Amino acid sequence: MHEMAIAEGILKIAFDCAEENFSKKINRITLQIGEMSGVEIEALNLSFEVLTKKTIAEGAELEIKKIPIVGECNKCGKIFHVEHYNFFCPECDGILILKSGRELQVESIDME
Amino acid sequence: MKIEVMKNILNENEKIAEENRNFFKDKKVFVINLMGSPGSGKTSLLELTLKKLKNEIKMAVIEGDLFTAKDAERIERHNVPVIQINTAGGCHLDAAMIKRAAQNLNLDELDLVIVENVGNLVCPAEFDVGENVKAVVLSITEGDDKPLKYPLIFKESAVAILNKTDILKFTNFNLESAREDLTTIHPNIKIIETSCTNGEGLNEWCEWIKNNLMR
Repeated sequence: MHEMAIAEGILKIAFDCAEENFSKKINRITLQIGEMSGVEIEALNLSFEVLTKKTIAEGAELEIKKIPIVGECNKCGKIFHVEHYNFFCPECDGILILKSGRELQVESIDME
Repeated sequence: MKIEVMKNILNENEKIAEENRNFFKDKKVFVINLMGSPGSGKTSLLELTLKKLKNEIKMAVIEGDLFTAKDAERIERHNVPVIQINTAGGCHLDAAMIKRAAQNLNLDELDLVIVENVGNLVCPAEFDVGENVKAVVLSITEGDDKPLKYPLIFKESAVAILNKTDILKFTNFNLESAREDLTTIHPNIKIIETSCTNGEGLNEWCEWIKNNLMR
């Protein structure tokens, strides 16, 4: 369960940001999680809950935006939504190069 | 107030991984991150690789394991430097662990380091340790459906080793379908079929390693 390490990464970013902005309370953290990343959302929420106990982020909500898997063909240059993890171009004999779908990002933080 | 951040969650790990990669590059050491399920045959493959290559290539092994030193003890018998990392329950190796382990290796004297990751098809794929390539071992007994069930690890790996081919005939593993799924996920992946019992495919794997060394 690497979600604990991911939750730690999220909180490191959030606490640094809160300190820079003299904030005393974090309400919501918005994440971008690519559909190709291997994150189990339930495990992430649990890890986050455990790690935030008695911190300024206790009770904060994790808002998760799923980022679809998108590839660009290395031959025809067209952009496609990758389905069933099929990285062959649907229109020519090219290969789809991953453009998005591997994201593990903190997009924004809502704090008081 | 809402603050736009846009920061990579694994940034800390990726920074250290990049440092590791540059450090290994300076030392001209090629690093393979060997991943796969528990029991897929990573250590057996490693032992045969050592037997075949240790007289031509100067190599060392970093062994990741939850609690034990069992794998490191197997490697030690081949008289190759081995560093044990115990993650104490942690499901993957990260870049900081490899950085510490590498400090105990004499990299000036090495051409190749193989990192055997913790047995797991999920977590290790997400953590760059500063390797040059990832390789994944998938054994016949795990089933041919695993590439599509765990796509990330196969997307990230330059090589997929289909291990235990000697028992293929006793199972319903569909080699063609597994190969097709692997190629769908990762069109340029190199697939090598191996058996650590009869030695099939070991030469191909070792040749692939030799062709990738930096010196």
